[in-house]
Formats: sequence, structure tokens, C-alpha cells
Amino acid sequence: MIVHINHISQSKSKAGKKSQLGELASLVTGSLVDLVEGGQLDPRIAPSLRIHLDWIQYKTNFRDPVIVRRTTDAKGKALSLAEVAIDLRQCQPTELPQQLERAIKSVSPNATGNDGRVYLDDYKPYRECMIWDFNRLFWRHLGEWEAASGRGFEAALPTGQSDANRPDAVHDSVVEFWQLLKELESKNQLPAEIPILEIGVGAGTRAAAWIDGFKAYDEANGTSYYDRIQFILGDYSPDTLARACASLGRHKEHITPAPLDALNPFKALSTYRFKILYVHLTNVYDNLPFDDLVRRDGRLYLVEVRAYMSAAAADQLEADFGVSRGDIGSVMSRLIEGGPHAVFAGDKGVAFWRAFWDYFRLEERLRALDDREESHVPPGLSWSHLEDLLAESPEDVRFHISRGAAESFANTLPLLHPRGYLQVQDIFVEEMDEYRKGFKGPGKLDGSLVTWVNGALLRAVGARAGYDVHFRPFTYRPGSKTTVMYTTQKP
Amino acid sequence: MKLPMLPTTVIGSYSMPEWLERAKNDYLSRRLSRRDLDEMHDAVRKAAIKDQESAGIDIVTDGELQRDNMIDYFTERLPGVQVDLGSKRFYYDFYDTEVRSKLATGSIGLTEEVKFLKRYTDHPTKVSVSGPHTLVKRIRNSFYPTEAEFALDLGRALNFELKEMARAGVTELQIDEPYYSGFPEDLPWAVKAINAAVDGVNVHVTLHICYGNRYGKPSFEGSYKYLFPTILDAKVHALSLEFARRGEEDIQLFKEYKAPFTLGLGVIDVKTQDVESPALVADRIRRALEVVPAERLVVNPDCGCVHLPREVAFAKLAAMVEGAKIVRGELGK
Repeated sequence: MIVHINHISQSKSKAGKKSQLGELASLVTGSLVDLVEGGQLDPRIAPSLRIHLDWIQYKTNFRDPVIVRRTTDAKGKALSLAEVAIDLRQCQPTELPQQLERAIKSVSPNATGNDGRVYLDDYKPYRECMIWDFNRLFWRHLGEWEAASGRGFEAALPTGQSDANRPDAVHDSVVEFWQLLKELESKNQLPAEIPILEIGVGAGTRAAAWIDGFKAYDEANGTSYYDRIQFILGDYSPDTLARACASLGRHKEHITPAPLDALNPFKALSTYRFKILYVHLTNVYDNLPFDDLVRRDGRLYLVEVRAYMSAAAADQLEADFGVSRGDIGSVMSRLIEGGPHAVFAGDKGVAFWRAFWDYFRLEERLRALDDREESHVPPGLSWSHLEDLLAESPEDVRFHISRGAAESFANTLPLLHPRGYLQVQDIFVEEMDEYRKGFKGPGKLDGSLVTWVNGALLRAVGARAGYDVHFRPFTYRPGSKTTVMYTTQKP
Repeated sequence: MKLPMLPTTVIGSYSMPEWLERAKNDYLSRRLSRRDLDEMHDAVRKAAIKDQESAGIDIVTDGELQRDNMIDYFTERLPGVQVDLGSKRFYYDFYDTEVRSKLATGSIGLTEEVKFLKRYTDHPTKVSVSGPHTLVKRIRNSFYPTEAEFALDLGRALNFELKEMARAGVTELQIDEPYYSGFPEDLPWAVKAINAAVDGVNVHVTLHICYGNRYGKPSFEGSYKYLFPTILDAKVHALSLEFARRGEEDIQLFKEYKAPFTLGLGVIDVKTQDVESPALVADRIRRALEVVPAERLVVNPDCGCVHLPREVAFAKLAAMVEGAKIVRGELGK
């Protein structure tokens, strides 16, 4: 049996005193030894059992405190490798030994029963899981969720504010861009029109701050670049775009709303091929579909998930909303397709939605991949991108394939002018080795999803498209986990 | 083989298969032998020639698939250039290179390409080389006092090889200078270096100037206005320029400056996988004919096809050939 401690950070406990996590970890190993001694661990499973001690980056996530992951071959036949994963952040010491015992018992090939869980779907890769239906539902009905929660989306962020709108960050971005324009002008290469693109504009707050700042800086320096700029507001929601445009009325001659799919900005903006000098995104990539891959003993596995609700949660849902177990599936479909009011009128619909999201859980299993199985390689990329990544990856690791982010990135780069750059503020894993030092999600962020973005993958994608990808810390807010990713043209 | 009116040609490179990219990387990682890689190169070069013939191209190249990129193939061969062979893992990256002493004059082995072409095709042939200005921009100069002097010596070194290739029977030679567009201020000395390279070379020489095609995207933007009038001093027969992607506005410069060159007209955008129709190609040729007479017009893509999937590259070349045929028919040729 191998124990993985997937959490490396500075302990906040006093020297010589065991931390709370240390206490929990001791409890895990002690309980495991008890189970072995008591003959409760199947000897056929024990040698290849792995125990993972996680500290999931998001307090609210899709896992129960203790879960079991079984493995299968590519066709779904069970393999001997099994994993028990414990979220130390959620665990309660009083309940842990029993939870562990139940998990160990369920690892056995002879195990039966599922604790009365109500399954909502079949096993699927993360990218096809219904969590994305809920994510879309959230952005479609954001206002209703915010009204019910009593706080705006930004206030619901872990820090209570978005790093997108920090005035000092926006100012630096303005100055950096202005300097590029100045240099191009000195070489007689300044285009007649200067297109700029922001993808995921929200209420237009950052765009407004940026254009205001640019206009002021331009005037202060006696240049007339403002007259040439065309700021393209990109978002998939026409309502959002309309709101953003309304807030930018003072610059209306210089803004262009562009309804677009964040996964493929090029499709909507192909007339801007090789023309855009600056592309900006904040907190878009962390909300796009991903897959998880696991490398164990030299073999690659795809993490597949199955949505469920625990027996207790199903009982509670019935008690609070009168939805019986047998009806949960059909009510959920109505919710996803028609929104909260298709389920219950008034506030009750949103309350049901919020409760459902709270109870929503995912089981995981690891499906071995056939050699060079292409289905999990994002569209527009090739297996060789993945090979690049694996070449720099540790042997024993679980990591994201940020396929949505990679697809979006690959489909944005062709918009860039030869001197243009793309800048992304988000939460990135910069090196593959970092995945061994912590478990990076996915998490629930209010009604939506959030997961760290595999920056190493984007670096590999950028390299194949002729760009070096760099990361620098977001220094404008102490303690911020945000990183700024930016591109430069490869020589 | 006699060339028709509005002859068609390629700029040089043909579609790079992904499996060959992997093989090249494997070679760099010492997982594949040079002999095995060379066998693969020969096979794809033959296939590239055959594809061009099948598409109906008049003047063919070997597809240049044995070249990692437009720099390393030359720096590895140029006597006097130090190459750090451990400095890259991905074949398309550039080696770190440096010149620490005066360049020697000697063969760099490109006549093999001429012999290979003559062995496998009856069509007129073309071999491209990277020009002195482009090479100067990629080799660290630790010897020459100025870039201009370095380029002039590179021109002399290439001159030896160009003459050798002419003697070996190549129909046409092409010099590629994509970096002009990024450094227009260099043009006066860059043209002198070209003239040193082509001095006494007795075959048709084309100077190809584009805006870059590294990784299938432009490296620079602007207008060809910067070329004129300095470029009129270049002792070459033809200028091959990029128009399909950028629009044809700059063709007027040929008229404005009474440029005596044959024009290699870029009619295929190699930076998109959308395949042009023959009608679009014909239209582009017709517009060029308003400025340049048919006798001085060659039809070609904007740049090499190396970044295009094979089926796209083939379809684009076939459309180009068909487009040229349409206009030839209209001219009664």
C-alpha cells in the first residue's frame, strides 16, 4: 500500500506540536493499520491500494470526505489498482475511522451496495459531465442566483473581489500597451486601426477602466492613438454585451460588441486575423471544460465521473421540496433545460436549484487509456502536445488537461498581430511538478465551477503555434493566487 | 520541358507530416539514427515531387522536408559557423549559432538537392536558399565589425554554392529574405549582399520577400513600399512577393517604379487552411496582369506550404494550377 500526501504547504502549527492535518493523517494511517490487523482489507487488493491524502483547493467541491476510485481497462473491465482519497479539509476526526472502514470494504471485489445513492448519470469524462450543464445554467440565470444568495458574483469570490479591475493593474496594462504603440509608430509600422479584444467582459467594468485610462494616458503624452483604437468586447451572452456596451457609452465610437464562443474566438472574429494587438482575459479559462488524467505505474488513466446524490441528501430534498427519489432525474432535466422556474414558481425554484447544487456529488473511476487514444486531446491540438507535456511530467501524478482553455488559447492566437500579445489573469499551474504538491480542484464557486488551469499545457500549445508563454505573479494584491500569463513571439 | 505562359511554381517547402516532425524530434533525442531519418527524408521528398507533378506544377522543388527550418539547414553547413548541437529539443527551433572568424568559402552541399530533383523529375527544377540578410539576423556575430560586412561575406559564401548548383543543372534558384520586412532600414546593404550572392550565377534567380511564415503566421506587417526604389538595384531576374493574404495593393509599386523584374505573384494564402477556388486565383492573376505583362508573371503561393496539412496543400496547388489555366485560356495561350 502506498500513501500519497498530496498537500505541501507551510504548517501554521507551533513547533513541536502536531498540526490538525497531522492529527488527521495519523488517524488515517492508524485506522488503516487497524483494518489490516483486523483482516478487513482484502489481501488481493491491499498490495496495489493507494491512499491519497488531499487538501482540496476549494472548500466546496464535488467529493465526500472519503471516496474510492477503482480502475478499469479501456473497455471497462475492473483492474486491481484502487485508490482511497481523503479530503483532509472536510474530514471530521470523529467520523473518519468509520468512513475509512466503509471505503475499504467497498474496495473489495465482492463489495455490494452503494449506500442508497441516487445516480444522476453514467460514468463520463469530466468534459462531458453534467456539471457543465449546471455551469451554463448559472451564467444564464446569474441574476436570480445573486438575488437569492444576497451577494453579487464578485462578492462570492474567495477574496470578495475580482482581480480584473484593480486600478493599478489596469494602469500598468495601459502603459505597457501604449509603449508598444509608440515603438511601432517609431518604425512606421503602426496600423491605421488598432484592434484590442477582451474576452469575457462581464459588466464591462474592466474595459471601461482600461479605455478611460488609455484615453487619459494618450492625451497626457500628446499622442492620438485613442482615435485609432477599436475595443472589441467579446462574450457569448448578447445580454451581457448589451449591458457592457451601455456602460461604455462615452466610448461608443471605439467599441465593437462581438458575440463569440470563448472556445473559438477566431470563428467570430476571422476578419481580424493577424490584426489584434492586445487580447485580454480574466477568469475565463478556469471556467472552461477540462479533463483529468492520472499517471500510475507508467500507465495513463482518464478520470471518469458519475453524478450522484447521497441517500441523506435525497431524503432532505424530498422533505424540503417534495421531490421523490424516483423523480429527481426528471426534475433535474427540467431545471437544466428550463431554468429554476421550470421546476418551481418564484423563489422556491431558485432555492431548489441552490439545494440541488449543494447536494450534487461525483464518484470517480480511472479508465486506462489505450495507447495514443485521441479522444481526450482537445480539438485543434494533437497527441504530440500531450507528449510534450508528459515528457516534463512526473511519473506518478494526477493533472488537468485544460482542454477548454487550450482550445480557446489555440483559437485566439491566430488573431494576434505579429507584434500583438495575449494576456490572461487566472489561476495557473505553471509546472507539471506542481500537481504533485497539491490537489487543484475542481471546486464549486457559488453556482458555477472553478478549476486551476494547466499552464504547462498552454506553454506546449503556444510553443507549437510560435509563441513563448510566460507567467508572472499578480503583484497588485498581497496574497493573490492570480497569475498573469502572457505571450511573446518565438524567435 | 518548355514552360507555358504564366508558369506555376512553389516557393519551396511542402507539407510537413506530423510523423516526420516526431521523427526529427526523436533524432534530436537520439532515439532515431541519422540513417533512418535520411531514409524518411528521401521518401517524403519523392512524395513531395510527385504531389507537385500531380497537382500540375510546372517548376518543382523537392519540398525541402529534409530541412528543419530555413536557418539551421544552412548554418550547419556553412564553414566557419559554430553550431551548438545540444541547444534544441524541438526540430523547428533554431540552434544557437555563432561566427567567431572569417567565413571560409567552400561547398555547403546543396548540389545534392539538384541531383535528387533531376533523378526523380523531368520537370524544370528549383532550389531555394536562405539569403545573407536572413542568416545574419539569426547567427550571433562575434567577428565582423558590422552586420553589413557579415552579410557581404555570407553572400560570397552562398555565391560559390549557387554557381555549383547552376552547373549541376538546376533550372531556377531562389533566395529567401523574409527578414527584410522586419528590418527595412537594412535594405541598402542587404541588396549588396544579394548581388554578391548572385554574381556570375548563370540561371534564373528569384528573390522571395515575404512577411514571414514561421509557425504559419506572419512575423512582420507593413507595406512593400519600403522595398522601393532600393530593390531596383538587386541583380536578380524576379521578385516573388506575398499578395494573397495581404491584398494586391502593393502590386502597383511595380508600375510606379517601372520595376524590370518578373513578378512571382503570391496567389495562395498559406496561412489559412481555406482552399482558394480556381476562379479566385484567376481573378488575382487578372488584376496583376493590369500592371505586369504575362511574359513577366509567374504564379506561386505566398510562401512555403510547410505548415499546411498535405491534403490542403495539394488542393491549394491544384486550384492554383487551374486558376492559371483559366487565365491562359483567356490569353489564348
